[in-house]
Amino acid sequence: MDRNIVIRVVDLTKRFGDFTAVDKVNFEVEEGEIFGFLGPNGAGKTTTINMLITLLRPTSGEAYVAGYNVVKEPYRVRSKIGVVFQDPTVDRYLTGYENMYIHGLIYGLSGEELKRRIDELLQFVDLYEFKDKPVKMYSGGMIRRLEIARSLLHIPRILFLDEPTLGLDPQTRAKIWEYIKRLRDEHNVTIFMTTHYMDEAEKLCDRIAIIDHGRIIALDTPENLIKMVGDEVVHVKVRGDLTMALEKLGSINSYVKDVDIKAGQIIFSVSNSAKAIPTILEFLSETGVDVEEVKYHKPDMGDVFLKLTGREIREDEGSWKDMVRTVMRRWR
Amino acid sequence: MERELKVGYTKALYAMVYREVIRYKRAYSRMLGSLLNPIIWLIFFGLGWASLFRENIFREIFYGLDYITFLAPGIVMMAIFSASFLGGVSMLWDREFGFLKEILVAPASRSASLIGKSLGIALTALIQGILVLLVTIPLMSSINIYSLLPAILVSYIVSLGFTSLGMAIASRMSSMEGFHLIVSVVMMPIVFLSGAFYPIDGLPNWMSILIYSNPLTYGVDLVRYLLTGVYSIEPLYSLFGVLGFTLIFILISTYLFHKTTL
Repeated sequence: MDRNIVIRVVDLTKRFGDFTAVDKVNFEVEEGEIFGFLGPNGAGKTTTINMLITLLRPTSGEAYVAGYNVVKEPYRVRSKIGVVFQDPTVDRYLTGYENMYIHGLIYGLSGEELKRRIDELLQFVDLYEFKDKPVKMYSGGMIRRLEIARSLLHIPRILFLDEPTLGLDPQTRAKIWEYIKRLRDEHNVTIFMTTHYMDEAEKLCDRIAIIDHGRIIALDTPENLIKMVGDEVVHVKVRGDLTMALEKLGSINSYVKDVDIKAGQIIFSVSNSAKAIPTILEFLSETGVDVEEVKYHKPDMGDVFLKLTGREIREDEGSWKDMVRTVMRRWR
Repeated sequence: MERELKVGYTKALYAMVYREVIRYKRAYSRMLGSLLNPIIWLIFFGLGWASLFRENIFREIFYGLDYITFLAPGIVMMAIFSASFLGGVSMLWDREFGFLKEILVAPASRSASLIGKSLGIALTALIQGILVLLVTIPLMSSINIYSLLPAILVSYIVSLGFTSLGMAIASRMSSMEGFHLIVSVVMMPIVFLSGAFYPIDGLPNWMSILIYSNPLTYGVDLVRYLLTGVYSIEPLYSLFGVLGFTLIFILISTYLFHKTTL
């Protein structure tokens, strides 16, 4: 049985002057899917989302959300989607309940039905007991939960989440993941989310599009993406010239499937690290290469990104920005 | 076809008015602070001149009124003007704190959201003006009680106009940096050149031109006429002035808001 396509994007492009933020992107999202856009900061994730939610006009290409063209029928698109932006969009002087109530009105709801849904959703995100507190007294995680609840008020078919756990502590992140999963499982809402957290994409998404410099460089299920890297990965940091080491590596043994040098390390994709590591080390010492550090682990999205781009998604870079953001928010 | 789909206009209007009224109720300090300013003007400025203008011969200047009674409607309109104009400019905060995005991505008609916000801010400015009026009434030697309601109506229209003007300016500003500039460069001249503090007849030509092109002039003169019976511009012309300027400002702000993206 064919599943419904709820987002279709064809050659979508956005240029700001000379800079191409999103470059001929193509993808489709099926109904009921959790679809992730994974990439470093500045890769074009938010720009893509802003075009899909009708706030930014594409330079060229087309996008259909819930069957409607985002440029020609923005009001139809808006009535079918829920959006949680990267930065808070709540009114801090109003209570959680009042924020929900206003949202309901501007989405055409009213009366008893609206009140019932607000109560239901506030319970869903565990904020019911704080509903009459002004939002300025909420923590960052509570605000994010309120915004998720608010975005569901009008029963959207598709929910857009832009970095839903940015700047949140691990516990709150886990909680948000749980809500996102339950939304899909219990309410059959399609979810389109962006993130620069590898673990988030891997744990949550049914399919992931990896985006870098405005282009999609891979699109598949997390399992298939990880399979690209191999069963296990061994990172070896060596002293001295890396190209020298690579020349000598040739074919080592049957456990090593692939050898690569990325980000200053030799990366071996292996099928059995317990057997492969000793032979790798033996080989390196025989050829006179000084080994400084050896690490091995099950491959994750980080290895996939590294393999595809030759760079790591610098999570610390992200958290630095988060910190500035949080400080700025407090300061206000 | 797209238009028909827009979510109920009145619901969006109501939502925005509701929001502004709650915000106003919750900001006691702002309310009291902006009440204090006109009262300081009225007492420290007004009473000072009033005691100098005590003699009957001065009454001629103020169309037969004593100075405080002449000044009071001007002070009320000054309060309404500042509250509504600053309220409109405060749309900058909606951009800064992100609430603007919540409105922009909603299926409600943008003009409904914008006009709703103006109606709400204008309402809070009007309440502010009425509070100032209540304080000034005991100082006035006479007041036309029967014209109170029309005066309130006119004040609301004036405040709707200046809210829209504030919003139009806010939608052209991308940051808070220009805010103080606007307060001193726009607000002060509008207040001083409105006839709130002194009669506007017999002034030098260049000043008259500025005064008659100032939207607030018509509001001040019309409300003064309604409350005390004196005027320097034909009340009917003032009414046209008030309605005309308000309509123009609403149209401009709606046009600019429709072009707003992020």
